[in-house]
Amino acid sequence: MTDDTERADQFACTETVLDVTPDVVAVSNLGVASYVLAGVEDRERNFYQWGSMGVTSPTGLGLALAVDDPVVVFEGDGSLLMSLGVLSTLGSVDPPNLTVVVWDNAIYGTTGGQPNYSSSTDFAGVAESCGVSATHVRSDEAFEKAYREATESDRAEFIVCDVEPVDPDSRPPFDFAHIKRRVRNALTEG
Amino acid sequence: MTWIEQAIDGLKRTDIEMVAYLPDTTISPLIEAAKDDDAFETVLVTREEAAVGVLSGAWLGGKRGALLCQSSGLANTFNALSSLSVPARIPFVGIVTRRGDLGEFNLAQVTSGYNMPELLDDANIRNHSIHEEENVGERVEMAATTAFSTETPYVLLMETTVTGYKEESK
Repeated sequence: MTDDTERADQFACTETVLDVTPDVVAVSNLGVASYVLAGVEDRERNFYQWGSMGVTSPTGLGLALAVDDPVVVFEGDGSLLMSLGVLSTLGSVDPPNLTVVVWDNAIYGTTGGQPNYSSSTDFAGVAESCGVSATHVRSDEAFEKAYREATESDRAEFIVCDVEPVDPDSRPPFDFAHIKRRVRNALTEG
Repeated sequence: MTWIEQAIDGLKRTDIEMVAYLPDTTISPLIEAAKDDDAFETVLVTREEAAVGVLSGAWLGGKRGALLCQSSGLANTFNALSSLSVPARIPFVGIVTRRGDLGEFNLAQVTSGYNMPELLDDANIRNHSIHEEENVGERVEMAATTAFSTETPYVLLMETTVTGYKEESK
């Protein structure tokens, strides 16, 4: 049984993804999701967003259609609320090498921690209703189990992970064109 | 060749393999032609800015794509183009049927449609209007060539003199 007040550690869960799938191509939402990813490990295969709120999961979807390697999206609850329609596209296209992780901290973490509609939105339920295979976890252990299962799945997987809000000091490189060049060179001939 | 056939040929000549789209009356024949052609993987999006993400991700992974939509839909892409494509210097090709000008019956289409070239200019997104059907194939190829070479967005606006226009009774 999970305790509804239990929350996972976003740093530990991000680290788990990189440990379980060292070659994963990671697309991270602007703000906290990218700050945490950069703090865990600044990798060639990290595509951090510096803007384009609401477009993070679509970017991961496009990547998953272009490469055979596993692709993970580190999505924010606020960004997903801006673009829930993407779940309908995800449910239909359903690339098996894609896992979307939603860090549900129930706030707009990058703008000062204002509350969002997370508490009244069942993200996994919405995803399931859009035809996406989804699960909801609240601990580091449950996250690791769900992520390992997602990598074995023959469908796109959507993991909602309740996390404690964090305010990391780490930052990705600021040069956005450098980030994209690095990712593309790591995935293609350049 | 019709403008549809020319556009398909132009996309193929520039190695575009993915088409993200959201339907519009006058661009639907082009969308259908792309869906019926094995050269293209097609992705229906629910909002046009998602297509900027899908196509940006595909390009990062080595695949070229284009968005097919209407000018009001292109207005939905402005934050994605301005905060992803432009600053990250990721190529983007939009083939967009322009509403709001000759033949337009619906005032709701006029503000973003008629003013789209200026709106794009203000966002530092290069664009070109095609007024003559015989130019479509060449200019699709030229637009894609410069977008992928310079790694910047480029939008082609297909005018109603090429595509025809939706009438109020239809």
